[in-house]
Amino acid sequence: MNDIFRSVINLISVLAIPVFMLVFLGWGYAKKIKVYEVFVEGAKEGFSVAIRIIPYLVAMLVAIGIFRASGAMDFVVWALSPITTLIGMPAEVLPLGLLRPLSGSGSMGLMTELMKTHGPDSFIGVLASTMFGSSETTFYVIAVYFGAVGIKNTRHALPAGLIADLFGMLGALFIVRILFGV
Amino acid sequence: MLNHVWMWLIAIGLIVAVARDVNDEVRNSYRNGIPLTVQFVVKNNASSARGAYEGSISSPAESMNQFYGKTVSQSDISQPASITTTPNGDQRIAIGTAGDNAPTVWKEMAKALGKEKVEGRVREITFNADHSIATLSIDLEKVSYAKLRSVTRAALEYADTAITICLGLIGVMALWLGVMKVAEEAGLLKVLTKLLTPVTKQLFPDVPPDHPAVGAMIMNIAANMLGLNNAATPLGIKAMEELAKLSPKAGVATNAMCTFLVINTAGLTLIPATAIAIRAAQGAADPGIIIGTSIFGAGCATIAGLIAVKVMQRLPKYKKALEVGDDE
Repeated sequence: MNDIFRSVINLISVLAIPVFMLVFLGWGYAKKIKVYEVFVEGAKEGFSVAIRIIPYLVAMLVAIGIFRASGAMDFVVWALSPITTLIGMPAEVLPLGLLRPLSGSGSMGLMTELMKTHGPDSFIGVLASTMFGSSETTFYVIAVYFGAVGIKNTRHALPAGLIADLFGMLGALFIVRILFGV
Repeated sequence: MLNHVWMWLIAIGLIVAVARDVNDEVRNSYRNGIPLTVQFVVKNNASSARGAYEGSISSPAESMNQFYGKTVSQSDISQPASITTTPNGDQRIAIGTAGDNAPTVWKEMAKALGKEKVEGRVREITFNADHSIATLSIDLEKVSYAKLRSVTRAALEYADTAITICLGLIGVMALWLGVMKVAEEAGLLKVLTKLLTPVTKQLFPDVPPDHPAVGAMIMNIAANMLGLNNAATPLGIKAMEELAKLSPKAGVATNAMCTFLVINTAGLTLIPATAIAIRAAQGAADPGIIIGTSIFGAGCATIAGLIAVKVMQRLPKYKKALEVGDDE
């Protein structure tokens, strides 16, 4: 059962992009669109969009870089650890929960490390990978998506995004405790 | 809110860095100027005539921890090291800091100095009878303001990273924006949009159901669901551009933009590809076991995020920001 499931997933991830492209371009061709010309017209924007994001991403990543390099995370972990102990979250995964919205590559490294130390099939290993899979890098998404259209006033996007992250982490903890509980 | 969070990330980072450096200075955490005694196991003494040795430093974990006054290594250390003699007769040592057993404090010291190794001067070297093991007394290079240095370096490195990421986006961005343009001209997006109108009308009441933004948002969410991060980002940006055309005020996020963003940050995906790949690489019995749990977690995040975004958009503070003519 699991093997079938896995091969289906493999198939989807291999096929998705080619199928996407074939259907989209093929549909256009069938509709007698000058596909090459239109494609180039659209692709032209790619450069300017990427360049437009630069200042937003620099601002965001530098702040996150400073915060991480200072080791301030240790203090946040220390301050929050009584609460997480109360809800049954292992102390080891708390830094991952905190880092997840800030840094994609950082939290990926942390998740890998947790699995290396505790084993990928341990409670902590499963919880860590679930937490990683349950959320996105909120700060990065805000910088890139809003940066691309020059949004400086992000209004309630950040607090709502962080609330989503919080509940993602809690949901991950809840379900992993029930299914793989200690 | 982003203004506050941004400022505090930087401020807390810098304050903590200064506090830690002062603390390290007062306690002399890096034991600047205090000689450390270790064993040196000689691997080759072919060139010993010139006072150059290759070998490794070894020391029980206990004595390392005692020297630094805290737990710096869990197990006995054995790190590659080399001794050289300078023309004026000084003996220098360089110790590698790679590997899991290397003392954490040495890694920090090497990082603070921007090197791969910790270096120092050999005060005394006493060999045993057959010249295979020596007892060393070494002064490691002084380290100060380690945290401030690493904070400075991180600021510059991350600025660089931002550029690398953006430049890396150009290719995929061009590819998907091109494909999207074809889909748009062919009316494919309109078909998709019609299919999902009941859902999108609820989520984005401010966006006309047949607007191109809806098609782009659906494509982005579909790509996210399938775990196609490469495709999802350009499609999401395309959606944002379309949403921006509906905005009454440039530079300010609309309700629809915030809703769309939260759906993205919640990261609901049917295939958490990265996590599965890493689990497989770590030798998990069943890497895909987290698919169900991740969908549940991300589902919680999505629902909570949507509720939050819908409640918060009514707050006077956020309402006011969108009013035309208000320039705060």
